[in-house]
Amino acid sequence: MRRKILLIIMILLIILSSFSFSQVKTIKIWAMGEEAKNLNIMAEKFTKETGIKVDVQALPWTAAFSKILTGVAGRQVPDLAMMGTTWMAPFAAMGAFEDLGNYIAKSKVVKQEKFFPGSWETVVYNNKAYGVPWYVDVRVLYYRIDMLKEVGYNKAPDTWDELYDAIKKLSQKYGVGKTGIGLSPTEPANFMPFVWQNGGDIIDKNKNILVKNPEFVEALEFYSKFFKENLVAKGGANVFVDFESGLLPMFFSGPWMVSMIKEQVPKITGKWMVSVMPKKKTRTSFVGGSNWIIFKDAKNKKEAWSFIEFMTRTENQLEWYKILRSLPAVKEVWENPELANDPMTRVFREQLEDAKSTPIVPEWDKIETALGRRVEEVCLGNRDVKEGVELLYKDLQKILRK
Amino acid sequence: MRNRIWEIILFIGPSLLLLLIFTVLPVITSLFLSITDFNAYSFLDWSKTNIVWIQNFIDVLHDDLFWKAVLNTFYAFILAYPLTIFFSLLFAFLLNREETYFKNFFRLLIYLPSVTSTIAIAVVWSWILNPKYGLLNWFLGFFGIPPQEWLSNTRWAMLAVVALVVWKAIGPNMLLFIAGLQGIPEELYESAEIDGANRWQQFWYITLPGLRPVLLFVSVMLGIGYLQLFEEPYMLTGGGPLNSTLSIVLYLYQKGFKAFEFGYASSVAFILFIMIFGLTYIQMKMRIYQD
Repeated sequence: MRRKILLIIMILLIILSSFSFSQVKTIKIWAMGEEAKNLNIMAEKFTKETGIKVDVQALPWTAAFSKILTGVAGRQVPDLAMMGTTWMAPFAAMGAFEDLGNYIAKSKVVKQEKFFPGSWETVVYNNKAYGVPWYVDVRVLYYRIDMLKEVGYNKAPDTWDELYDAIKKLSQKYGVGKTGIGLSPTEPANFMPFVWQNGGDIIDKNKNILVKNPEFVEALEFYSKFFKENLVAKGGANVFVDFESGLLPMFFSGPWMVSMIKEQVPKITGKWMVSVMPKKKTRTSFVGGSNWIIFKDAKNKKEAWSFIEFMTRTENQLEWYKILRSLPAVKEVWENPELANDPMTRVFREQLEDAKSTPIVPEWDKIETALGRRVEEVCLGNRDVKEGVELLYKDLQKILRK
Repeated sequence: MRNRIWEIILFIGPSLLLLLIFTVLPVITSLFLSITDFNAYSFLDWSKTNIVWIQNFIDVLHDDLFWKAVLNTFYAFILAYPLTIFFSLLFAFLLNREETYFKNFFRLLIYLPSVTSTIAIAVVWSWILNPKYGLLNWFLGFFGIPPQEWLSNTRWAMLAVVALVVWKAIGPNMLLFIAGLQGIPEELYESAEIDGANRWQQFWYITLPGLRPVLLFVSVMLGIGYLQLFEEPYMLTGGGPLNSTLSIVLYLYQKGFKAFEFGYASSVAFILFIMIFGLTYIQMKMRIYQD
């Protein structure tokens, strides 16, 4: 009998304690990549300030899209999540996100004019703001100072012609196939900047297809030339090893690479630098990054919003920059000497002035696949540019008809 | 009798239930999905789904990537199928001979690839096949053969995939053949020898007919397995370069779980089912497997 009473008391205690725990609000966050690993530092600070607990769940980038999708479909979502800029449109079109218009109107911290325009564009879908920019990523040219010097370039290639000439000379010096530029035949973030630099685009605001325009064709001709003349680095181990060995003296990538290269191949520190994109008509680059969103099915929207405001505050944006070196989306932060005096960060700042995002349309995923396929066929297969563009046009017609 | 029914339900009920929930139900759902345009946007709002009847099937049959995937899959099948049977049969013979030493050791060695996860194997293979640092190119270098880009050249990529597939499949099929060989009565060979039959004749008139049931089983299973080629190209090449290793199931996966066009992917699955069914039917009817 006594045992039974004891058991009942224990069970009651457990139930009671779980009740008292739930008094403390906990917001759940889904985040990806390195960000997820380091977000706890900010979360602890947030908990100290507000008393709201934060539970960060890390998703690998490769599985994140389907995880979020199944979460949305099964209505098993956290309160807020970090969202890659190119994923905003499909989920917004699905109706997965909370419209943040009212929150933003009332907020003292989150205001549109505080952010880079290119970055703010990525949170807007159908004239409604579904997110708040967190950090931006912009692609620049990484290059080996010492190797380029050997072929007569004392600074980074400044134009398209110089870019081609530099890698051509390097390949003549080191042997064809022994060195090359890093270009991906399938990655649109790699290819699209060339189209933009030439004044073109893939579709316009009204979803007219622009791939048959001379700007696009010319960009594809230029891009595929590197592949056809065997000037693209092939068969390496990974970016870091190849950057060090000289197989890959030039490539385009985002700000996260800076600290990673310093960590992975410290031997070449001082022998490499970043530079703004080579110029054709412009130097336009790709701007991506991540935004904060609140799910429509979130349970703690108010608390989630206060976390977004917390992450947007200037001092916290700066602190995040110190942790991961990802570039603040809030313009004001860039005036801080920590950023303004860093020679590499300055390059990113300059590039941000001339950068755009891939079109924010829900069909982007399919457009991206079609683009990747046709560009690859032209670069690696025997398809000539005209035919490739013609086929891409037909693909896009099919995709956009729906 | 009533007791018996309860016994039966008790014993096969759980697995029957699981089969129902995880196999039969999804099959029916997928069949239904194949006549709809169910996609990512219909997730939250099911009313956005339309019944499109056979439109998906028409689209699939007009899809040049699908046909490319079919061609690739059958190319892999035609290469891998005889190779697998030949090598598993060969190793089965060698390891069934009384004169062979360390039989168990060799059996273990040949079976090992199929107990390792394909994912891990593919990672190792992708390094072996790496054009700059790979073992294979290093080895070929001794014979003066220039380094090849095994995985990024359209000519080699599928062959690399096939090599991995065959290498993995030899083990279990060899075991089946060994079991089949051991099931053939020794007396048949003895009497054949007395009658003056040579080795070749013994193989042709005793071994092969004796192996028929095993051969049928192996070829049906291989046919089903190879038409569902997925893990190897998914891990090794991702379907590239230029879609030269894109298999039907990989295409289905891309359509279903990358583009989230579930209706379309279900139609592809259904067409694949018909193909496998047809192939298996032909195999069952083939004369070499009949008594």
